[in-house]
Parts: sequence; structure tokens; C-alpha cells
Amino acid sequence: MTNDIWAVAELEGGKLKNISLQLASKAAQLAAALGGQSAAVALGQGAQAAAAALGATGVNAVLVSESDIYDTYLVQPATDVLAQLIQQRQPKAVLLPATVTGRDVAGRLAARLGLGVEYNVTSADVAEGEIAMVVPAFGGQLNVNATFAGDGTRLILARQNAFAATKTGSGTTTETLPAPAAPANGAKISGPFGTEGATEEGHMTTVNGHPQYVPPPSRSNVEEAAIIVSGGRGVGGPEGFADLDALAQALGGAVGSSRPVTDDEWLPHHHHIGQTGRTVKPELYIACGISGAVQHQAGMQTSKYIIAINKDKDAPIFTFCDLGVVGDLKAIIPELTKLVQDYKASH
Amino acid sequence: MARYPATLTAANKQGYNEEKSFRGNKGVPRQSLPPLLAPLSLDLEESTLKIVVCMKETPSTEVPKSLGADMRLARNPGDTIINPFDEYTIEEGLRQQEKLGGDVVILTMGPGATTEPMRRALAMGATSGVLVSDTALAGSDAVATGRVLAAALKKLSADLVLFGQSSADAYGGIVPAITAEFMGVPLLSFATKVEVEGNAVTIEREADVGYTKATAPLPALVSIAKAINNNPRYPSMKGIMSAKKKPLDTWTLADLGLDAGTVGTGAAKERVTGATPVATQRRREIITGSAGAAQRIFDFLVENKVI
Ligand SMILES: Cc1cc2nc3c(=O)[nH]c(=O)nc-3n(C[C@H](O)[C@H](O)[C@H](O)COP(=O)(O)OP(=O)(O)OC[C@H]3O[C@@H](n4cnc5c(N)ncnc54)[C@H](O)[C@@H]3O)c2cc1C
Ligand SMILES: Cc1cc2nc3c(=O)[nH]c(=O)nc-3n(C[C@H](O)[C@H](O)[C@H](O)COP(=O)(O)OP(=O)(O)OC[C@H]3O[C@@H](n4cnc5c(N)ncnc54)[C@H](O)[C@@H]3O)c2cc1C
Repeated sequence: MTNDIWAVAELEGGKLKNISLQLASKAAQLAAALGGQSAAVALGQGAQAAAAALGATGVNAVLVSESDIYDTYLVQPATDVLAQLIQQRQPKAVLLPATVTGRDVAGRLAARLGLGVEYNVTSADVAEGEIAMVVPAFGGQLNVNATFAGDGTRLILARQNAFAATKTGSGTTTETLPAPAAPANGAKISGPFGTEGATEEGHMTTVNGHPQYVPPPSRSNVEEAAIIVSGGRGVGGPEGFADLDALAQALGGAVGSSRPVTDDEWLPHHHHIGQTGRTVKPELYIACGISGAVQHQAGMQTSKYIIAINKDKDAPIFTFCDLGVVGDLKAIIPELTKLVQDYKASH
Repeated sequence: MARYPATLTAANKQGYNEEKSFRGNKGVPRQSLPPLLAPLSLDLEESTLKIVVCMKETPSTEVPKSLGADMRLARNPGDTIINPFDEYTIEEGLRQQEKLGGDVVILTMGPGATTEPMRRALAMGATSGVLVSDTALAGSDAVATGRVLAAALKKLSADLVLFGQSSADAYGGIVPAITAEFMGVPLLSFATKVEVEGNAVTIEREADVGYTKATAPLPALVSIAKAINNNPRYPSMKGIMSAKKKPLDTWTLADLGLDAGTVGTGAAKERVTGATPVATQRRREIITGSAGAAQRIFDFLVENKVI
């Protein structure tokens, strides 16, 4: 085994996801500490175009491969290419994003090559020549320290925002990998569908007979947002989310929610934050009409700043916020939105 | 009746093609056909669709968790529940069965699995259950878990295998892909909709905007996103009574032809070296009343350079 560290990038619709730069930055840092080489691997549509941004993180090399096959089949072609490459070059560790695709690729690699995989990693450093990681457990109540034993490439599934993206390098080499073969019994992908109604405006729609508020795509990705305006049952209904969306727009953030909100389809499911939803770590989390159940807390407690607005002074959310307001969100949110808009207009 | 790649299994049973094309052509579940029209030459046992739901037993979410001296989750056998995500999966399995006919088998692996969650799954309406239970399984990592599930699924000749999106105690979400790789079959993950038609399964998966579809030939694995259905059914009194009489098998590693050295603590490559409780320092400045509140929040954002 070498001391090389790789990061696997994630592309969606040809666009590089943020987490790819975070993983590449970490790979460069770990490889430097171990005296090895670092590389970022980008597979699929947009890989070539992503090479420059990946290289700027400081990795020694970017390995790219573009072929329709990656975008026609689910994960199997990427697994085939990575498995071969890992066997040939024996990196010490491969960092992958803890996304649906990243998990599926890591799982298949682990089974095929007999490798260990540590998941939900939020921190990784070098200690005594080995990779020492931190993994939150039990809804974030505990930080577990983990490492690997034995030989074989270590697979590490890292959470969104676990690592900071750096911009240091230049002069990275780009290597083009051979294209994969189509898998024999592969799962074929098609779509995306249902994008017709997508506009840059939030709007009301009907889902399964219920009214639903749909924030625009630019304010829908809670995992990548630096600011999240999140609403709970206290928002009162789907229509109430228009006010939260307006605040998110003013702040340049995304709209999040507690679970009952998406269970009742006031918002689409991917806004749901918590133990059974997305895990987020924004600069700022504004919880509006959210009581602060442990299952919700599990998904947002590592936010840098937490602001809570709740009309019940005994709501649990007030025990883990930086600023808490005992008051009516319906009055406060529009006023706050106006203040932010005015400030931004003059700055 | 499932067919796996030839290198992985010898189970290539009779009746598979007839049954699949039969269902595919007519587009109706066999259950709804009058008995006279059912193909008499088919062995019913061999030709029904076999849906298997992989269910993990997890510690009750209400109980505080801690790590034992062995750095593993301290488990109290009496306190296990159906992994909450797997309730959505069982519900989906039962809905597919209502549409397509066939059997729903619940498969659980654990070092000394209790049968309470299994009984509940059977009471919800599943046909039968299989527990893979062996002391050698203690401390198994995700790869070992996938290895065991794959062997059991092959023994069951599963056609359609349903998984939850993740467990509520470890949150790996990775066992389905590991199992798929060991079986050499496709995995359609994070499905918000599942449709079986003829010999193929198609899923929908939510994207940031809209949704994508993925299709694979059976046998195939599908992992179910929680978003698929909001209300897993409660067992009825009748269901609870009949669950007591439903077939429940217990298999050991030997029954699956697996070597104890490939599972459990000894085979795991991950090591836990310690744990610390999380204590975040929050400022907890609390103000009361809506008047002036917006201004205070705004000032906070400016003070902390968030805007
Ligand atoms: C296994 C399991 C997993 C779960 N996973 C999750 C998860 O991932 N995420 C999650 O969020 N939940 C999850 N839950 C549910 C969780 O336990 C809580 O039920 C849920 O978080 C409560 O949502 P809420 O805060 O929106 O609603 P409520 O608890 O009903 O709180 C609403 C709040 O709004 C306040 N309010 C009402 N009107 C106003 C107003 N005008 N202005 C200001 N405040 C107002 C009220 O005072 C109240 O505190 C899970 C539960 C279980 C059992
Ligand atoms: C806090 C904690 C952290 C851990 N971290 C790691 C780690 O980093 N790497 C590692 O390899 N192991 C780890 N483990 C061990 C892990 O719990 C076991 O490997 C477990 O058997 C499978 O992983 P999972 O719970 O993440 O399953 P997931 O992949 O989250 O489960 C997804 C689905 O697979 C099915 N499934 C999973 N387990 C079973 C089962 N036993 N029987 C039937 N169906 C099942 C269910 O349908 C479930 O919904 C950890 C355990 C704990 C408690």
C-alpha cells in the first residue's frame, strides 16, 4: 500500500457538487502529512471541465473519465473503474461523499475488494501514520474516535461540510482514464422528469390532494446552504412558508423544515432536517416554530449559529440556541426580511 | 425462482420464465385471476413472486445510548424495535404484494436476535420470517452484514429485495450496496416509488429538481426512501393472532455455508478507539416579545458577520 490519498468527486447533471472540493482539499492535506501523493477522481459528464476546480484545491493529480456509460447506468461503471484503479495503484485511503451515490459506490468497492469502510465521518487527520477519524453517534450525543486496522485501502465516507474547501494549488496534472464498459445487468437511469414547473420563484402547488409550498431550486438544497431558514409546525401551513422563503431569499440561504412539515407535505421531502432527514452544518440556522425535539436537533446541532423563534418560552429549542426570541414568527419574520433587504440594498 | 449470475448460484429454477412472461403479458396480478385460468402445469410454490424485506432490529429510540467497554453499542435485548426506516419498507413490501401477489419474507440478521420486532412485522402482514442468528456475528461491520444477507437472500431465491434507507442506530445506508455487490445484482437505491412490471423493476428517486427513474431486471435490490409512504400500518388484532402461527426459521452461519472467520469482530477492519460526549457551548441569549425582536436578530447577524 502507498501513502496516497484520493478523493472521489460527485457530479450531478455535469455540475461539480460542493462536497467534491471539500474532499479533494482534505485528500491533499492528508497525503502531505503522510508523505504520499493526492488525487481527485472525477467520472462522468462534466469531469473534464471540473478538473481545474479540483486541481486548485492542491491535489497533485486529477484523474478524469468522461463517457455516456457513467450517466446511463447507476454506480456500476464508476465502481468498475475505481476498483481496477485501486487494485493497480493501492492508495492508502479513498474519500467519498456520504451521498446516495457515494454510499453505493463505497459499498460495492468494499464488498468487491474486501475493504473496510468508515461512514458518516466528520473529521479526519493523521496520527502515528494512520488516519484518525471522528464519527458522530446516537443522534450526535457522542463523538466516536475511529481508525482502521490491517492493510488494504481505507474507504472513508465523509459528511457534507465535514472539511473546508481550500484553494492553494496550481500546476496539477490531469490524467485521462479509459472509458468503462457497459455493465451486463446494470440499472439504467433516465430523467430528470418533472422539471417543467421549476421556476426561480417559490409557488403553491397540490400534491396528493394537499396544498404544498415549493421553494425554487436555488433555495432547496439544505445540505449545501450556508444559511438555512427552517420552519416547523408553528408556521401553521404551507402558505406560511412563503414568508420563510422570502427571508431565505434575502439572506441568500435555503428553506429547511422539521419532519411533520414534510410528513404533511407542506414542503417537498428534501427540505426535512434531522435524524431521519438531512444533516446540515450551516453558518446560520434560524428555527421558526420548531419545538426542538432531539430528532430534529440531531440534524442541525453542529450549525455555527442557531437562532430560535418560538412563542413557547419552555420550548426545548431555547436550551441549544445562541439567540432565542420568545415571540410570534408571523410578526417577526416579515420585519426581519425587510431589515435584511434594506441592509443588502445599501451594502 | 430468482436467477442470479451463473457464477454466484446454481439456483436456476424451473417455471421462472413462464411465470414472468405470464404476469408481464396480461398485466394483472395472478391472485385476481379465476382459478380455472391459472396455468395448471406451474408449481405454485416455485412460481410466486418472492419479496424479501431486510429488517434490522435497532435499540428503541427512547432509550439513552452508550458504548460498552468493548466500544460497541451497549444493547439491551428487551429494548429492540423494528428499525424505524424499515417500517416504511415493510409497508412497501406489503403494498407490492397486494398488487402483484406472492410472498413477503422478513429477513433479519443479528448475534442473538430477539423475535419481538419479527413478530410485529409478521403481524403487519408478512408471510414468514427468517432470523440469521449466530454468536459469531457479534461485532459484524457493514461488509460482514452484507455478506450474510447476500447468502441468505440467495438461499431464499428472492426476486425483489427491499431495504430501508439506513439504520437508526448506525446510519450507514451502505448495507444494501454491499449486499448487491456480493449477489452480483443491481441495486436501485433511495426509491420514492417502486413499480414491478413483467421481469423488471423501476423506481423513482427525488432529485434537487424533479425526479429521476432507474430500471433493472429482476432479481434486484431496492432501498426505500422514507418519503415513499407516510403511514406504515399498525398490526391489527387479527394480524397479531395469526402472526403467532406464521413460519419463522432460524439459520446459523453453517446453514448458509459461511465461515465464521469472515464475519464478526475479527473480520472488521474498522476500529473504535474512544468516545466523548458532545458538549456545544451556546450563548443562549433569550429575549421576550415580538416588538424589537427582528431588530435584535438583525443586529446579531451583523455583529457575527453572517451578513
Ligand atoms: C424515530 C423518529 C425520528 C424522527 N425524526 C425526525 C427528524 O428527522 N426531524 C424532525 O424534525 N423530527 C423528527 N421526529 C419528530 C420529532 O420527534 C418531533 O415530533 C418534531 O421534530 C416536531 O416538529 P415541530 O417542532 O415542527 O412541531 P411541534 O413540536 O409541534 O412544535 C411546534 C412549535 O411551534 C411553536 N409555535 C406555534 N405557533 C407559533 C408562532 N406563531 N410563532 C412562533 N412559534 C410558534 C410552538 O410553540 C411549538 O414549540 C422524529 C420522531 C421519531 C420518533
Ligand atoms: C454508532 C455506530 C457506528 C458504526 N460505524 C460503522 C462503520 O463506520 N463501518 C462499518 O462497517 N460498520 C459500522 N457499524 C456497525 C454497523 O451497525 C453494522 O455493520 C450493521 O450491521 C450494518 O450497518 P448499518 O446499521 O449502518 O446499516 P445500514 O446500511 O444503515 O442499513 C440499511 C438497511 O440495510 C438493512 N439491514 C442493515 N442491517 C441489517 C441486519 N442486521 N439485518 C437485516 N437487514 C439489515 C435494513 O433494511 C436497513 O434499513 C457501526 C455501528 C454503530 C452502532
